[in-house]
Amino acid sequence: MQDSSTSGADPLISLTGVSKRFPNGTLALDNVDLSIPRGQLLSLIGLSGSGKSTLMRHLNGLHRPTSGVVNVMGVEVSSASNRQLRGVRKNIGFVFQQFGLVGRATCLENVLTGALGRLNGPRYGVWSYPKQLRSEAFDHLERVGLVNQAYQRADTLSGGQMQRVAIARSLMQQPQIMLADEPVASLDPESSAQVLDLLLKVAVEEQMTVIVTLHQVELALGWATRIVGLRDGRVVLDRDATTLKQEDAMEVYQRVDKSLDPDVSRQPDASGVTQRAVQVAP
Amino acid sequence: MSGAHVEPLTKNRAGRPRQPKNWRNPTLLAITIGFVVATAWSWNFIDMTLLTLFGGLSDLGNLLVYMFPPIFDNFPEALRATIETIWMALIGTTIAVVLSVPLAFLAARNTSPHPLVFAVARGVITLTRAVPTLVLAAVFSISLGIGPFPGIVALGLHSVGMIGKLFTEAIESTEFAPREAVLSTGAGKWQTILATIIPQIIPSCIGTALYRLDINLRESAVLGFVGAGGVGFLIQTELRGLDYQRAISAVSVIFITITLIELISTRLRASIIGDHLSTPTKQNARSLARVARDQRLIEAAISTRRLTPPWIYERILRVGTGLMFLSLLVVALFTIDMPIISAYKYGDDLVRSIGRLYPPDFTFARAELIQGMLETTAIGFTATLLGLVIAIPLGILSARNIILRRSVILLSRGVLLLIRGLPELIVAVLFVAAMGLGPVPGTLALTIGTATFMAKLIGDALEEVQEAPREGVSATGATRVQEFISAVLPQALPNLVSQTLYMLDVNLRSSTVLGIVGGGGIGFLLLGSIRVLDEATVGAIIITIFLLVYAIELLGTFVRWMVE
Repeated sequence: MQDSSTSGADPLISLTGVSKRFPNGTLALDNVDLSIPRGQLLSLIGLSGSGKSTLMRHLNGLHRPTSGVVNVMGVEVSSASNRQLRGVRKNIGFVFQQFGLVGRATCLENVLTGALGRLNGPRYGVWSYPKQLRSEAFDHLERVGLVNQAYQRADTLSGGQMQRVAIARSLMQQPQIMLADEPVASLDPESSAQVLDLLLKVAVEEQMTVIVTLHQVELALGWATRIVGLRDGRVVLDRDATTLKQEDAMEVYQRVDKSLDPDVSRQPDASGVTQRAVQVAP
Repeated sequence: MSGAHVEPLTKNRAGRPRQPKNWRNPTLLAITIGFVVATAWSWNFIDMTLLTLFGGLSDLGNLLVYMFPPIFDNFPEALRATIETIWMALIGTTIAVVLSVPLAFLAARNTSPHPLVFAVARGVITLTRAVPTLVLAAVFSISLGIGPFPGIVALGLHSVGMIGKLFTEAIESTEFAPREAVLSTGAGKWQTILATIIPQIIPSCIGTALYRLDINLRESAVLGFVGAGGVGFLIQTELRGLDYQRAISAVSVIFITITLIELISTRLRASIIGDHLSTPTKQNARSLARVARDQRLIEAAISTRRLTPPWIYERILRVGTGLMFLSLLVVALFTIDMPIISAYKYGDDLVRSIGRLYPPDFTFARAELIQGMLETTAIGFTATLLGLVIAIPLGILSARNIILRRSVILLSRGVLLLIRGLPELIVAVLFVAAMGLGPVPGTLALTIGTATFMAKLIGDALEEVQEAPREGVSATGATRVQEFISAVLPQALPNLVSQTLYMLDVNLRSSTVLGIVGGGGIGFLLLGSIRVLDEATVGAIIITIFLLVYAIELLGTFVRWMVE
């Protein structure tokens, strides 16, 4: 993107006073200020329901803020037109907890949908994409180690494999930013490590700016350069990962709760209950 | 902290015994009483007595005697008319599918662009369902003339009701995650819909279309009764000329065709919708070889980086079936003289012929209108009750887990399948030929349709009951009959009640058109008014039918909701 070639000091992503209140009254984001320079590997931590996913969805315009400004690569996402929004999304890979693959379609088709932003008009089936792009999709499947599954239906894969296909789909966009919302929350530990390693590897190779939300602090500390903690829609922690100890990060989940919410001190296990309750929800 | 309340709530719910839903019982009782009273009134209204019932049976016996031996010299004509019937069903269903796809996207909660569009699209779908195909065909034949064309248009429009509704449900049941993910890659709205929603709904849409094709084949077999093409016209002419021996041969041609096509489409549905064709379902040599071949093809495609999907069995089947349907459609369009080119002219006629129904005139035939509606309702109730009485033993006989003798099951299932092959209105026209005009032959025809359909539903419902309670009861030394009454029936009962209601709904709809072949009810007045081009009265009748059908649908939805 030409307009993003402005000097490195300029943040690639910036949020200024962003608040989001959903129609049901929930205040999901509460006056969030955040600025992220190019090339940063940022991990967003916090409990389920703390606003992590909502924040991520504001970055590519899936959600619009109630107030405040979201600026990504020089485009004001918070007020962008549909066309502008598509332009921004093309440059942002987004990996979801639930993979977001079309189960009945083959892996190759799923990866190809990542190229839709580059194409005009609807496409249906492998044959409707230019050969050049099909070949590219093969390359990306090779990169995530699933080329042998190219002509297999996505719903025949394991969870870890599905997430790798989703990563290949994002790579198809040739994005400058990679967002991953709880990418390993539905995976077993072994697949989790594999998927996170892959994500980090391609991000570094492609010099992408990465934001990953995680609820496991150890994973977050393992590879991020910056840790941001959210609680009840507010930024309660923003530190360089190298100077941050695990205990400090845990404050996002525990001690910070008490200081901010007087009710909680009377119910010592309240946060635990919340976590359990929300995890049960689909 | 709302989360803190979650745990105690579940504890309470689990700890307390389930509360009896007392408030529903009086309502259910009222519904049951209402059903019984309505049926008794109906029975009385159409002068149905056991004597007429048995008298009708002996008339039918006489008709059968007149029909034998069948004379098959009309076979070429019957075959031609049957093929026309098939083409009509195919084109009509295709039109309905083409109309339904955009309509469904506008009517689905998750794809509709605007609440207003949503409401209009829903309304259109409901409206098309409410006027029976035969009524539509009769109205259209005023402006479009005699022949298959008005029949096809009627099939196409009426089927939108069911196809559009099921397509909408399919769209609404798609997953949101893929849509959000593809939208996030920068894809546009339509790109996203095509890439994520269409692949998810295609199997169920194909299933719906094939199922409707089966129904439409039956419908188009009787469209000839109002001069709208197909084999019905031939059957009616032969019956009018008292040429029973030829009539039965024409009936058998359409009967065999319908049964065959139903068998084919059932298999097709199963194989197209079936998931994971590339995994062997049966451990026989053929399916294993097929899977091995698919595996080889896929491996070869990967190693050579083939950029088009390999021709695995599943793909051959899908593409092959699709091509077959397309070519059949082309043949159909060329065989049936569809005035597509001048469609705008006919479209004009169509709109005008609908326009002439307005303003409706309820006064001219007021007495007949009221009488007709009452009779229609009475036929619907009586046929449902009689059908149920016959269906219960037949259904039990066809349940594999109740009757252990294979021969009995095969026989009863076979009989049911065969009788289902005859469209109700063809049965009705035969009965009218045997017993004369009036509600009794119409009721009996509906009864037969109900009995076979319900018997299948009952059989299926019985086969779905759990085994454990049966074992428990039989372990106490109960006889097989006792076991059935106390362990099987209570499990299947709620299902049966809701199926009976559904059947009542279907029968009330069907009985609105019985009169067209002289089987009693409002249809007779409708056909008469069309013949004398009294369009204001036709409009009044259609509105009345629409209101009746709509009221039944609301009642059915309400009662089903109460039962479940």
